[in-house]
Amino acid sequence: MKVPKIQCVCGFGCGSSLMLRMAIDDILRKKDLEADTFCGDVGTCLSNPCDVIFISRELAERIVDRADVPVIIIENFMDSSEVEEKVTAYMASLE
Amino acid sequence: MEELVRIGSIKAKVSAADWKDAVTKAGSLLVESGDIKKEYIDNMIASVEEYGPYMVITKGFALAHAAPCEAVINDSFSLINLEKGVEFGSPNDPVDVILCMACKDKESHMENMMKIAKRLMAPGAVQALSECEDDVSLYRCINGENEEV
Repeated sequence: MKVPKIQCVCGFGCGSSLMLRMAIDDILRKKDLEADTFCGDVGTCLSNPCDVIFISRELAERIVDRADVPVIIIENFMDSSEVEEKVTAYMASLE
Repeated sequence: MEELVRIGSIKAKVSAADWKDAVTKAGSLLVESGDIKKEYIDNMIASVEEYGPYMVITKGFALAHAAPCEAVINDSFSLINLEKGVEFGSPNDPVDVILCMACKDKESHMENMMKIAKRLMAPGAVQALSECEDDVSLYRCINGENEEV
C-alpha cells in the first residue's frame, strides 16, 4: 500500500495546523501506522497534492465543495481521542 | 525545560471586554517588547473576522495569530489568561487562555511552536494555565516549574 499524504490545514499553515499535525503524528506512532503529514493553509491547500485533508469545521466550509480528496473535520485539534478516532477510521478505510 | 515565553510577555488575570479586547491585550505585550508592530494585532483580529473562530482550537483556548508578515519583527509568543472568559463564537467557548503567536515566516518558528504545542497538549495543561493567579505562576506553568524568573 502506498503511504498516504495527510494535509493538516489552518488559516495560514503555521499555527493550529501544526498542533493538529503533531496530534496526528502522535496517533500514527502510537498505532504503528505509516503516513506522511504536512501543514497547509486554507487558501492554497487544494493545490497541494495529498490524499486527505484534516481541517477545522469553520474552514472546511470554504474548501469542501471543491476538494478532490476526502475532507475530515476536526472539532477540537487538541482532543486526542477525537483525532485518534478520525485518523484511525481514515487509515482503516484505505485497507 | 527551557524558557519559551518570557516573563514580560505574560500576564495573568487580564480583564477583557470581549474577544477583540482580549486579543489586543495579548498582542500588546509583544508590541511593548518591540517584537511586533501594532498592525499585527489588527491582522489577528481581521483573521478571526475573515476565517471565523477556528483559532479556538480546544476548550477555553485560542491560538491567536495572523499570517507571517512584515509587522513581525521577531518570532515571539505572548500568553495571557483572563479574569473572565470571552466568547469567540466557537463551540469551544468561553476562552480564558490566549497564546499569541507571531512569526516572520512559515518555518523559523516551527521548533518553538512544536515545543509549546507539546506542553499545551499534555492532559490538563490548558486548565492549569487558566487557573494561574499571577504572572509568575503562569510563567512557570508554560515554561516549567524550575525556571528562574
